[in-house]
Amino acid sequence: MPVVLQASDNQQFTIEKAVAERSMLLKNMLEDVGEAGEPIPLPNVAGSILKKVIEYCEHHKEDPVPSAEEDKDAFESSRRKADDIDEWDAQFIKVGNEELFEIILAANYLDIKPLLDLGCKTVANMIKGKTPEQIREMFNIENDFTPEEEDQIRRENEWAADA
Amino acid sequence: MAAYGAQAQPIDLATTWPKLEAGVDRIMNRLRDGLSYGTWMDLYTLIYNYCTSSRMNTGLNNEPIGGSSSNRGANLMGADLYINLKAYLKQHLDALKTEADQQMDEDLLTFYTREWKRYTTATMYIHHIFRYLNRHWVKREIDEGHKTIYDVYTLTLVTWRDHFFGGGPGTVQQKVMDAVLKLIERQRNGETIDTSLIYNVVESFVSLGLDENDSTKSTLDVYKRYFEVPFLAKTDAYYKMESEKFISENTITDYMKKAEARLAEEDHRVQMYLHSSTQKGLILTCETVLIKNHTGPIQEEFQNLLDQDKVEDLSRMYGLLCRVPEGLEKLRLIFEVHVRKQGLSAVEKVAGSSAAPVNEEGDEDDEPTPKKKTKKSAAGDVDPKVYVDALLAVHRKFSALVDEAFKGEAGFGASLDKACREFVNRNKVCKEGSSKSPELLAKHCDSLLKKNSKLTEEHEVEDVLNSVMTIFKYVEDKDVFQKFYQKSLAKRLVHGSSASEDMEESMINKLKDACGFEFTNKLSRMFQDVTLSKDINDQFREQMSRTHEKDDLTDFHILVGGTASWPLHASPSGFNIPSELLKTYERFQNFYNHKYSGRKLNWLFHLGKAELKTNYVKLGKSPYTLIVTNYQMGVLLQYNAATTYTWEELLNSTGVAPEQLAGQIGTLVKGKILTVEGGKVGEAGSRYELNMGFKSKKLRIKLDQPVKAEQKAEADDTHKTIEEDRKMLIQAAIVRIMKTRKVMNHQTLMGEVISQLNARFKPKVPDIKKCIDILLEKEYIERMEGQKDMFSYVA
Repeated sequence: MPVVLQASDNQQFTIEKAVAERSMLLKNMLEDVGEAGEPIPLPNVAGSILKKVIEYCEHHKEDPVPSAEEDKDAFESSRRKADDIDEWDAQFIKVGNEELFEIILAANYLDIKPLLDLGCKTVANMIKGKTPEQIREMFNIENDFTPEEEDQIRRENEWAADA
Repeated sequence: MAAYGAQAQPIDLATTWPKLEAGVDRIMNRLRDGLSYGTWMDLYTLIYNYCTSSRMNTGLNNEPIGGSSSNRGANLMGADLYINLKAYLKQHLDALKTEADQQMDEDLLTFYTREWKRYTTATMYIHHIFRYLNRHWVKREIDEGHKTIYDVYTLTLVTWRDHFFGGGPGTVQQKVMDAVLKLIERQRNGETIDTSLIYNVVESFVSLGLDENDSTKSTLDVYKRYFEVPFLAKTDAYYKMESEKFISENTITDYMKKAEARLAEEDHRVQMYLHSSTQKGLILTCETVLIKNHTGPIQEEFQNLLDQDKVEDLSRMYGLLCRVPEGLEKLRLIFEVHVRKQGLSAVEKVAGSSAAPVNEEGDEDDEPTPKKKTKKSAAGDVDPKVYVDALLAVHRKFSALVDEAFKGEAGFGASLDKACREFVNRNKVCKEGSSKSPELLAKHCDSLLKKNSKLTEEHEVEDVLNSVMTIFKYVEDKDVFQKFYQKSLAKRLVHGSSASEDMEESMINKLKDACGFEFTNKLSRMFQDVTLSKDINDQFREQMSRTHEKDDLTDFHILVGGTASWPLHASPSGFNIPSELLKTYERFQNFYNHKYSGRKLNWLFHLGKAELKTNYVKLGKSPYTLIVTNYQMGVLLQYNAATTYTWEELLNSTGVAPEQLAGQIGTLVKGKILTVEGGKVGEAGSRYELNMGFKSKKLRIKLDQPVKAEQKAEADDTHKTIEEDRKMLIQAAIVRIMKTRKVMNHQTLMGEVISQLNARFKPKVPDIKKCIDILLEKEYIERMEGQKDMFSYVA
């Protein structure tokens, strides 16, 4: 049964149910409401991003869904390895910063854990080995710490300095 | 569409909660009207937007429940939604409770199960809609160890439990339970009830068992405490009443049927609507009230059922009593006594009945047993077949009962064995001692394995031999059986009267399996000797035909057996080898001595037989063939020289002892080969003349029948040799034990000896004492000085 998704800009996408169910949000909702024969409104996701997310879900529709509890530990540990990214995923996530953050937000909203992890790992890899100043530059962040605050933070986090 | 502009509006509790509450309320109360994707998605997005608004609202966000700790990361929004939801649920359930308080019994159950279904379905929706809260705020709270925060679905269950369900007197829980118990009682009384009501109540009680330490796990605490405990108490009371009343008004057999049905019914009840964990407790309760509390009266009925062979009721009784601890003990004892009694009375019947017909002689024609030929009979002198069949019939009957009614249970098997051992070894026929059974059993085997046994088919004989082994297993004096069996086997081999070599072998193998190699060692040797003798005969015949003219040779066949293996003894009587045979005798003697130098041949003439042709009298053109014993041949060959001899002349010429000779000639006279004059056979001065006018319809005339008196003597003899053998076995056992133990006291030595010999026979204590004395005298062992009842081995 195909499912129609409607983005915040009213763009519609018709996809397989199995693809939609990569999103826990959609899975739960379809389970509760059943077939309603109407488009599913996703007011928090823009069409361009939804398209990207659907691409990801299409590609991963065959993946096993880690069941809630049992695989939790295995799942957690694989997630921590930031450099463990599959080739397709790496290509898929090669996007501009703006788009990357939009994807992360959409994955969080739609509750697609693997995609959320992929986005966060990518950000983590971008930060790795950079100084705070470089990071601020990269993400266009204004430094709002006072020098005293900065000193204190440095001291508190000394243990992590050159791991 | 409502949410799209939401980013622009300020997001706070005051704008969020009223919209959310309206949605939640709709799901709780009007879910059956349906829910659109849009509404569902709006509610989810409402929560998402609220929870993700923290960045923009720093400073005015609410502290999470339980206070904050200094090192937590970004503050998460959500506590207010959780608190408000919780308050909403409480209020919702308070209203429900007021409604529930108006209801009773079945109406209450209908209400409870309907509302439970509605509530849990709706709250599962709400759980999903609140998933963003669950994933972030709730997860953080739980990770930080706040035990009173649950994921939303668990929260709805906890709230149900705490604000609606209650627990204990006066609460909804108790009223529901009262109604459930009433309903079950009605079903037990035979009414039809709506079991789905109970099924749903059970499901609800089970769902409410929440593990306080880990909200993802559940326990059966609520179900056990509020359902199972009162349910089992009620069950106990119900069946206590019922069973006592029923048993006082009905027979035990009817009661057993009732109990069986009730047990099956309760078992079914678990499957129908209870939680499977209740099975054990429920069945245990029922077993206690229905069976254990009435064990006494049920057991008392056992004897009656046995007496009437009521297999079905016996089986039912077993099925019931095997469910309670120690329920079967008493039955096994009663069973054992019963089987023993049956065995004894079966033996008594055959012991009484067999004496009469044998005395009258005649109507037992078809029994080719030695018994019939002995003719005379004392009380307890029983036909072996009748006796063994009687024992077997009892065993078969009760063995079948054990299998059928008692499911082949090992304890009853042991009781059966014990009882059989008793009546096989100690019964009316065995009055003088337990050695009678093995003797009769061995004789029975003999008649089975002999030619002209009525059982022609090999598998038939095999079956009967197997059943013989069944009895053999119970025989205590296995050595007696061995002796008699060996004797009869020797006879079958010597006389060539064995029906089938295969059957003989199969029987020996069975005995070997039962008692070991040693037991059948001699039997196997005897077989080997028979085979070897065939070769010896062939070789001898071949050599003779090479060295002698054909006319010079007599047909000759010999069986050479090792003295140690064969239970045969030289006859005290002498025998003069007739001149006609002397040459053959000497030739074989030479042949054998040459072949096996150093071996000594003892000729057992009394066991041999011969065939003689009558040239003096014929049937038509053919001479008669007389099959006679060697002694008879010695007598008859004299008549080649003259036609009449006196008693003294025959004694002198044959060299046979007078007692034997009288018997042998007696048979010839009876067979009308010789006629006697001048006195009775064996009297001084009697004369014996060849009957020249002998006539018979048969060409072959068998005259080598065993003489009756000899048989009886033989049996007594065998018993005597057994006594001797036993003494030797006991002594050997004592020496063996003492050699390894060196020092031993009287009591333990006795025990060891008995246990070592038990497989062959049961040694009697006085016999062992006697043997100890003999060994003391022979100085194999000695008493230890200064120590009472201690012996030591003398090397």
